[in-house]
Amino acid sequence: MNNLETKKEHVQKTEKVILNASKTDCTGCSVCSDFKADSLRHAVARLNGVSKVKVDEITGKVTIEYDTQKISFSKITERIEKLGYQVEVLSREEIQ
Amino acid sequence: MREHFKGVILVILLGLFALAGALISGTQIAYAHEISIILTLIAVALGYRIYVHGIRSLLHGNVTAQLFATIAIFISVIAGLVLPSASATGTAEAVGYLTASAIVALIILAGMTLEEYIIHRTRGALEKLINMSPNTARIRRDSAEVEVPIDEVKVGEIVLVKPGDKIPVDGTVISGHSTVNQATITGESIPIEKTVGDRTFAGTLNEYGALEVKVEKIAEDTTLAHLIQLVEEAQEKKAPIQNIADRFTTYFLPIMAVLSSSVFAASYFTLGFEVALARTVTVLLVACPCALSIAVPVAVAATIGNASMNAIIIKGGTHIEKLKDVTLVAFDKTGTLTIGEPRVVEIKTFGNYSEADTIKYAAIAEKFSEHPLSKAITAKASELSLKIPDPTDFKTIPGQGVDAHYGNKHILIGRKMIAMEISEAANQFMSKVENEGKTAIPVTLNNNVIGIVVVADTVRKNSLEAIQRLKRLGVKTAMLTGDNMRTAKSIAEQIGVDEYHAELLPEQKVAYIGELKKGNVVAMVGDGVNDAPALANSDVGFAMGAAGSDVAIETADVALLGDDLTKVDYAISLSRKAFNRMKGNIVYAFVWNIIALSLAAFGILNPVLAVVLAEAGCISVVINSALLLLSKPKAFAKINGQAK
Repeated sequence: MNNLETKKEHVQKTEKVILNASKTDCTGCSVCSDFKADSLRHAVARLNGVSKVKVDEITGKVTIEYDTQKISFSKITERIEKLGYQVEVLSREEIQ
Repeated sequence: MREHFKGVILVILLGLFALAGALISGTQIAYAHEISIILTLIAVALGYRIYVHGIRSLLHGNVTAQLFATIAIFISVIAGLVLPSASATGTAEAVGYLTASAIVALIILAGMTLEEYIIHRTRGALEKLINMSPNTARIRRDSAEVEVPIDEVKVGEIVLVKPGDKIPVDGTVISGHSTVNQATITGESIPIEKTVGDRTFAGTLNEYGALEVKVEKIAEDTTLAHLIQLVEEAQEKKAPIQNIADRFTTYFLPIMAVLSSSVFAASYFTLGFEVALARTVTVLLVACPCALSIAVPVAVAATIGNASMNAIIIKGGTHIEKLKDVTLVAFDKTGTLTIGEPRVVEIKTFGNYSEADTIKYAAIAEKFSEHPLSKAITAKASELSLKIPDPTDFKTIPGQGVDAHYGNKHILIGRKMIAMEISEAANQFMSKVENEGKTAIPVTLNNNVIGIVVVADTVRKNSLEAIQRLKRLGVKTAMLTGDNMRTAKSIAEQIGVDEYHAELLPEQKVAYIGELKKGNVVAMVGDGVNDAPALANSDVGFAMGAAGSDVAIETADVALLGDDLTKVDYAISLSRKAFNRMKGNIVYAFVWNIIALSLAAFGILNPVLAVVLAEAGCISVVINSALLLLSKPKAFAKINGQAK
């Protein structure tokens, strides 16, 4: 019984969002933008419930797939903002 | 790791094609020249990451070193393909241009890959922290033990931790007894005893016993996860010195545009098209704005990473710059320089009674008292492994002491409880310890003073060393306390602070920090909760023992996760070193660019040499900054050596 319940809770609902994360510092240097992108990617990837993260170091476009049951959208954006980025949502869709 | 692997493969392939192209051009086989051109073009094409990066950045409005490189390589390739038909020297020159562009692409790509790798490694400290926390937990569900992924554990469940396992959650021990190494969180590698009711942290190491832990916080909510997030955020916060570097980089593009076109024009009219072309390409390739813009951010990340490995969280680049200037460190006394709870420091006995007897009778009388002094006595009793029976009856008189019976024995504790004459020896002893700011508690048994227990707040074991180290750094020290003058004087003398101020109310502490700030850059060290206002008023606020307290971590500019005060001077000397490194890197990158650009403009460099110079400049700055991750501040290392 208990087992069934836990299984039910884990029916996944995955959402895919595309954000634009921008920061005022660090322009014009590939090493620097790689550096920032790397940190951002790791920070988001480690959030519980996030399954995929892609960061384009040139455009600042961030693509994230996450399980809506495990983490809320606002928690993700809050994390990115805390790292000093301004976040703009480009698209948001349910994919599963 | 995989992305670096791909990068390395690309570099190797590019190198092989370039090499093959160059080798074949010298042989006699059929179509050697054509094959050589094709192989070299493939090599150049394998540098696609450079061009994609350069062009995409341009489309996005940024001009990068990769764009300069792309233009330079494009010009060389075109020159290599077109020039031979026009010039008499023919094939050799064509191969020369093409080979040069392939080598340029090779060096830049290799440089990019290496820089990415180093930068990735700068996150090493953080990765280490992250890996401390186990991915699975053994939990009890329906009376069975199951191992589940950590993100499926729920608050309130019971986690079983075997000896030698890492604790996966923050929680409270509900059964078992063990020692736990909390170095991950507090930096203190001496294991701490954990038993029922004690809190545990995710990522710490359980040693000899099995523990059952009731889950309170999981995943992102654990102390360890918070610390990791804090470090990540801190690493992103730039140091003010970066503004200087940024200002240079903004001027870089117009300067480059003017410089390259004037070099082209000047050499075109004096030395002809080909020389002008070669020089312009060289100028474009030698420019290295990256060295300027990357120096500071990598250094900030590496410094904060280094600190975090030492259980210090510096909350951003700004604080590194403030820390380096600190000239005075003010410490709170109680709980910071001292342990913050009274302990038995001395036992004086009279007659035939031993120290153990004195403590035993005192502990019987005090057994059920919650007073801090009573706790000090019962703690001493258990330290001596004494079995303490219950008193037959007892009466606590607030502010005076305890009157208790044990069988036919009458025990009185406390100076004011004792009506009879006290011997001259006992009296002298008591006034002596009281002058030292300690509390003397006489213990009488059937109206005989059998001993005097001396209780005092004790100085932490590293306080003295911490103060000495700061002095060696040339930093003044001060102690601020709300405690009375006598106690303050005694503690101040034990640890050797330069000045102390007693009987300060919290708001007076804040005001005092303001006083100290006249003429000093002041760091204040406190617990981060009671001292929050004083920390906030100082230039750099240190919260000590902050691991378990989000409030303390929040208020501080620098959080010391453990209780080790020698981390204060570590943070200061690390920051001094880091700042010098940043400043040095900016100057170095600036001078490097000026020299390299001048050499290129006057035709002293060729394109290949130029690109080698540019990459070497950038990589040396990146490495130099990243090494801050591993460096031990000089002063710190030296004192460590002396201590041994």
